[in-house]
Amino acid sequence: MALIARPSLLRQVCTAAPSKRSLSTKAFATPSIHAASTSTIRHAPQSVLIQNTLPGYNSVAAFHAGGRQAILPPLPQRIQGTINDAAIVPDPTPAHGSYHWTFERLIAGALVPLTIAPFAAGSLNPIMDATFCAAILVHSHIGFESIIIDYVPTHRMPKTRKALMWALKAGTLAVGVGLYEFETNDVVT
Amino acid sequence: MAALRTTSRLFNPLRVSPVWKRGFASVEPISAFSEATSKSSKVIPESKTSTIKEPAPEKESKIKTFHIYRWNPDEPTSKPRMQSYTLDLNKTGPMMLDALIRIKNEVDPTLTFRRSCREGICGSCAMNIDGVNTLACLCRIPTDTKAESRIYPLPHTYVVKDLVPDLTQFYKQYKSIKPYLQRDTPPPDGRENRQSKADRKKLDGLYECILCACCSTSCPSYWWNSEEYLGPAVLLQSYRWIADSRDEKTAQRQDALNNSMSLYRCHTILNCSRTCPKGLNPALAIAEIKKSMAFT
Repeated sequence: MALIARPSLLRQVCTAAPSKRSLSTKAFATPSIHAASTSTIRHAPQSVLIQNTLPGYNSVAAFHAGGRQAILPPLPQRIQGTINDAAIVPDPTPAHGSYHWTFERLIAGALVPLTIAPFAAGSLNPIMDATFCAAILVHSHIGFESIIIDYVPTHRMPKTRKALMWALKAGTLAVGVGLYEFETNDVVT
Repeated sequence: MAALRTTSRLFNPLRVSPVWKRGFASVEPISAFSEATSKSSKVIPESKTSTIKEPAPEKESKIKTFHIYRWNPDEPTSKPRMQSYTLDLNKTGPMMLDALIRIKNEVDPTLTFRRSCREGICGSCAMNIDGVNTLACLCRIPTDTKAESRIYPLPHTYVVKDLVPDLTQFYKQYKSIKPYLQRDTPPPDGRENRQSKADRKKLDGLYECILCACCSTSCPSYWWNSEEYLGPAVLLQSYRWIADSRDEKTAQRQDALNNSMSLYRCHTILNCSRTCPKGLNPALAIAEIKKSMAFT
């Protein structure tokens, strides 16, 4: 996971000096590509071609550079049903599907004029402010909710998922109350 | 021939060469056999034989290094490693698959990868080459010999061996969208299900998908949620049937996608369209599905 995100890290580890922590479980591993090119070939009788083609025939380079820091390491593969069964199709729930998506886009679209309007008109209409605050609150709530759904899968961490969802709801409520307080007490019209 | 052999053996049992003694399914050690034949034949002097020399690096050779991901399921405790191979590009075909086949044929027969058609129509040789998911048979080897190529299996897949990913989940998901024509009414003239040229044109850019899984495995959303999110390749296939004018189960197909995970985990990252080795646009197909379901 970290490797794909940070290929530069991989390259650094590959060229790094051998460290004490073994990056491979193979006993005969020579830790870096460069060191391997000078190492002797252990399998004695081999053709020149193979020797030329495999500079480090026994070389083992570091691959799992970021393995130790994995936040949610992948589980062993588990196949539901047999190989020939189709994946399970969930029941249609438009409230979390198409309606949700449409609502999300409408809010996001509405935010554009609502953001520009106060600058253009220069007015501080309380209704306008309230609409803007509500839209931005809902927009950010949907955005954070989406992050939680993406990164905290229900089948892996059901309790964490539930806790985060409630924390998000509490946060949204707190921000809503805060914005209300701010609008009613601090904004001077 | 067999009859001739038995007769000759009958007539002259002592002078029968060991070649004839071997039955069709014998398990005699090959060494005994070769020893016997070499005794009977005279030694040919070196001057009268042609010599095949060991291929040595030539002066104008273009030596390029390939780092290839290796993992062997027979050694489950050992971690995956990178192995380096150097090839002379002058003696290798132009594509990455040619290099892989040459390595497997001439250097290291244990290297494992899928390949079949070598012309980009079967989708077997999908792998991650220099950081891009692509088909090895459609990917030219960069002629710059200083740049070393790195070849990995498709990212975020369970690896069967070396460059072979496990695509079970991918195919199960493909099966779940029912990728076949669903109709209840027979065609009016009782012959074929026909469609207009305009309707047929809607399928261009969809039917060409060969399900190589390059796009799905390049999608971060699919990396995190491959159990539930269908991924761009399967959604493109789903749209191929939603868009088909002959299909009568469009509503059911859309309902199957109408939940928070199957379709709407697509966040228009567009890695799928960037990586597709066939030049298709799965992101557009997903957007069309979303659009068709938007105000319903």
